[in-house]
Amino acid sequence: MDTGESSDESPIQANKKGKSKTPRKPKASTLKQKSPAEFFAENKNIAGFDNPGKSLYTTVRELVENALDSAESVAELPFVEVTIEEINKSKFNSMIGLIDRERIDEALYGDFETVKAREKRLAKEARFQEIQAKNAALGKKVKEQTSAKGMKGRGEASFYRVTCKDNGRGMPHDDIPNMFGRVLSGTKYGLKQTRGKFGLGAKMALIWSKMSTGLPIEISSSMKNQSYTTFCRLDIDIHRNIPHIHVHEKRDDKEQWHGAEIQVVIEGNWTTYRSKILHYMRQMAVITPYAQFMFRFVSDTSDKNVSIRFTRRTDVMPAVPLETKYHPSAVDLLLIKRLIGETTKQNLLQFLQHEFVNIGKSHAERLIGEMGPDFGPKTPVKSLTPQQIVRIHQLFRQAKFDDPSGDCLSPAGEYNLRLGIIKELHPDMVATYTASAQVFEGHPFIVEAGVSLGGKDVKQGLNIFRFANRIPLLFEQGADVVTRTAMKRINWNTYKINQTQDKIGVFVSIVSTKIPFKGTGKEYIGDDISEIASAVKTSIKQCCIQLKSKIVKKIQAREQQERKRNLAKYIGDATGAIYDILKESSQLHAKKKRMEIKDEDAELLQKVSSRLITKETLSEKLAQHVEQVDYEMAMEYATQSGVREEPRENIYIQALEPQKNFMDLHSPVFVFRLFL
Amino acid sequence: MADKRKRRRADSDSDDDSARLPFKNRLKPDSAILATLQALTTATKSASTSKTLTLSDLSLSSTCREVTDLPLSSVQTKILTLAASLARSILSGNGFSFSVPSRAATNQLYVPELDRIVLKDKSSIRPYASVSTVRKTTITTRILSLIHQLSLKNIHVTKRDLFYTDVKLFQDQTQSDAVLDDVSCILGCTRSSLNVVAAEKGVVVGRITFSDNGDMIDCTKMGIGGKAIPPNIDRVGDMSSDALFILLVEKDAAYMRLAEDRFYNRFPCIIVTAKGQPDVATRLFLRKMKMELKLPVLALVDSDPYGLKILSVYGCGSKNMSYDSANLTTPDIKWLGIRPSDLDKYKIPEQCRLPMTEQDIKTGKDLLEEDFVKKNPGWVEELSLMVKSKQKAEIQALSTFGFQYLSEVYLPLKLQQQDWL
Repeated sequence: MDTGESSDESPIQANKKGKSKTPRKPKASTLKQKSPAEFFAENKNIAGFDNPGKSLYTTVRELVENALDSAESVAELPFVEVTIEEINKSKFNSMIGLIDRERIDEALYGDFETVKAREKRLAKEARFQEIQAKNAALGKKVKEQTSAKGMKGRGEASFYRVTCKDNGRGMPHDDIPNMFGRVLSGTKYGLKQTRGKFGLGAKMALIWSKMSTGLPIEISSSMKNQSYTTFCRLDIDIHRNIPHIHVHEKRDDKEQWHGAEIQVVIEGNWTTYRSKILHYMRQMAVITPYAQFMFRFVSDTSDKNVSIRFTRRTDVMPAVPLETKYHPSAVDLLLIKRLIGETTKQNLLQFLQHEFVNIGKSHAERLIGEMGPDFGPKTPVKSLTPQQIVRIHQLFRQAKFDDPSGDCLSPAGEYNLRLGIIKELHPDMVATYTASAQVFEGHPFIVEAGVSLGGKDVKQGLNIFRFANRIPLLFEQGADVVTRTAMKRINWNTYKINQTQDKIGVFVSIVSTKIPFKGTGKEYIGDDISEIASAVKTSIKQCCIQLKSKIVKKIQAREQQERKRNLAKYIGDATGAIYDILKESSQLHAKKKRMEIKDEDAELLQKVSSRLITKETLSEKLAQHVEQVDYEMAMEYATQSGVREEPRENIYIQALEPQKNFMDLHSPVFVFRLFL
Repeated sequence: MADKRKRRRADSDSDDDSARLPFKNRLKPDSAILATLQALTTATKSASTSKTLTLSDLSLSSTCREVTDLPLSSVQTKILTLAASLARSILSGNGFSFSVPSRAATNQLYVPELDRIVLKDKSSIRPYASVSTVRKTTITTRILSLIHQLSLKNIHVTKRDLFYTDVKLFQDQTQSDAVLDDVSCILGCTRSSLNVVAAEKGVVVGRITFSDNGDMIDCTKMGIGGKAIPPNIDRVGDMSSDALFILLVEKDAAYMRLAEDRFYNRFPCIIVTAKGQPDVATRLFLRKMKMELKLPVLALVDSDPYGLKILSVYGCGSKNMSYDSANLTTPDIKWLGIRPSDLDKYKIPEQCRLPMTEQDIKTGKDLLEEDFVKKNPGWVEELSLMVKSKQKAEIQALSTFGFQYLSEVYLPLKLQQQDWL
């Protein structure tokens, strides 16, 4: 552990030395070390900051996810307010204290129009006007002239102030600078199901703001039973990976508010990522129906403004995921060393028994016996040699262990998933299913699925909503296990669902202590893990089976209405055909009389030729029969389905007063709340 | 110097020739091959003198359904009886329904003694007054009435004609075709006795003469294309032939090659192809030839699961028309080639073999489970080899050794070695 600490310190010292102001001759042999903050600043794409647009999106999602985590950790129903405010250039300049300068040498700029370019443009416009005039003369619809897109100079960046306010735990006054100004220092590093993907969160947003605008981050925070609000304005020293504090003070908390409000000014691109951000908010609302979101976009041009409220639909929150211990088959050499370094247990037996799941005392003894003569139950765990640790690791990989249980996971729950889908999509039908916990490489996972049909703002065909650890995944959909499964491995026809015509919503949420993401952006789960693929498939199928019976009932009801018409439609064709046979036979019979037929048939033919039986008589009789059958079937249907149901509308009644003394009785499909 | 070069060129030419047509030197003179064929033909003729078994000869546990050729008048009577019973049922106020023999896979039975598929006796009720069957029932009555007219006027029409009489009701031809087969089953007669035929598809060329509607046809004088097999077999009669065997070819291309090379003059034979899956007319014609001329039948199909499937349709019948398998199947067809073992035996180069797709392999494995394959151990061996090697080859693969390799070397050699299963 000592060596680890020294290596933590060294980058700072190295940088201190290397940070002389005068540039020196480049020395090929100098060994440079990077601080974590520097590393992420240079490789910001791995944390989702590929370009200004994506950066805006990632900033929003990191702040929202932090806010939800914070509120859930104190069992408070989350209320999250996100505001994106567009800042135009002059406003931005005034913010950083730069005076707007008029351009003097126009030709210097990228968007300067040279004489040649202007001629070209004017010619084009003239041609366009000519066509327009011609069209107008011909009475065709006149197209609006598309506003000539000015060449966008490189410097034409857009800036946004992103504010996110929550009602969560808040942060302790003294910890705030380190929580924001030091990359890779986090509270979420234990083994449990977490929303965050890297533990970068707001820090990465801060690095991005530092890179693009140079403006500091502003944090207000207050904790429960705390009489003041902390206000802090800071930025980050990227080279040394330490916070650089501008203001850090206590202010009066007038509203008894607890939570955090974070404000950061970054470069972004609203136009290209508008739909992604709105999709993200909507999907977040689906998977988190117990949270209330308020999303606003504010700019100078008021027609661009957006203001959406995602209302709370339930007040049942999933349990906070528990921190769990590692499963022996999920650890690597380094992790064993770390666990040994951190453990408080003295001997090997206790270490195995208490630092891992699924190892009981007797099991631990058997394992130690198997390790070899060098090992004993009383071997001090800190004295293990590297070779001995390798031996433990080998045994962990070969030995058989029970699967870890899914108790430490916190799925959204069928109840919440269903409400989320209903509240955001308003589908005609919805079915949900939660699979039992399964295991991949020592990490338990739970798959939940929902399938909806119809709804508003849903396009025809498959609409796929993917969630991993209760956050939406929006990018790289094509290769994802959910997309592949829904598109290729589900035979929708079996469930009377039309894959191209119906509006199908497929929702799959996977929670795990470790989601096996693929790709650098951690945006999708690969299709090559058969455990997950089969769990996803069965879950979707289960939903479809539930839907099928409803769909069949609907089809039956429709058939019920159309049956009589369908049956009556063919009466003419059928009786006509039969009558033709009889008539022609009767003519033949009358002429030749040499056909060997039975008496009753001959009698019938006689009646046909004497026009006692005509096509009309047959049709009439068949129509009577159809009438009777239809009546019988209608009766049967009525007795089966009971009294005709009036169309019902779902209503949701919020509790009158927030009463605290109640107990919830949970079931997968409903929650019964008993007020005491 | 010039001399030497010339000689070398001549040498290389002959080298080329033997490289291009491997195994040619193994061929014996045609007379020797003809002698072996003669022996085969005589053996076949003496073997087939014994009476062919019919369903009624066997005491099967489950009753089976078979149809027979009926004269027009009895078809008329049957339709009339049926129509009269339908009319009575309507008049008594009960609507009407058909009892249609099921042609589903579960209702099929392979009878090893007969070496063909037969239909078991399960049937389903098709009532008019049900939403799911009303359309089909109506189509059935309509087809019945149309066939009644055909039998009265004694004319033949094609399935396509039948469909076009009421496009609005039938919607597409597969529906009227399927109902036509149902009607055959209901009435218990063959499709030919309903006077409905399919368009001509099969062709025949070679040492056979027969009469088609009274005109004598000599198939050695039909050019390269050959004679189209008449759609209704009852027109065909007076078959005579001096051929030693019948060569059944899967593909049109191979058929053309053999016809153009006048293969049937070198080895007296009759060459038949249905250009892929055989139609009813070709199967009826093949059976008639086999029964009347008592010649051995050798099949040349692709070395893939579909080749074997086509072979099985000629031999044991298709599932869709199993009710008439007695009239449609030709017993004792020998698999001459291209067999999976031939690929290595004749050193067919790797680039001419194709990898089997997953679907191919699945079809192959399914075929291995079929009774008609299992009854012939040689076939099982070949098919297992195909599935194992995961390679297939078409007849055209032989063209790598020259276009005429098929007719000049491969087939003669196969015949010489009596290499059939």
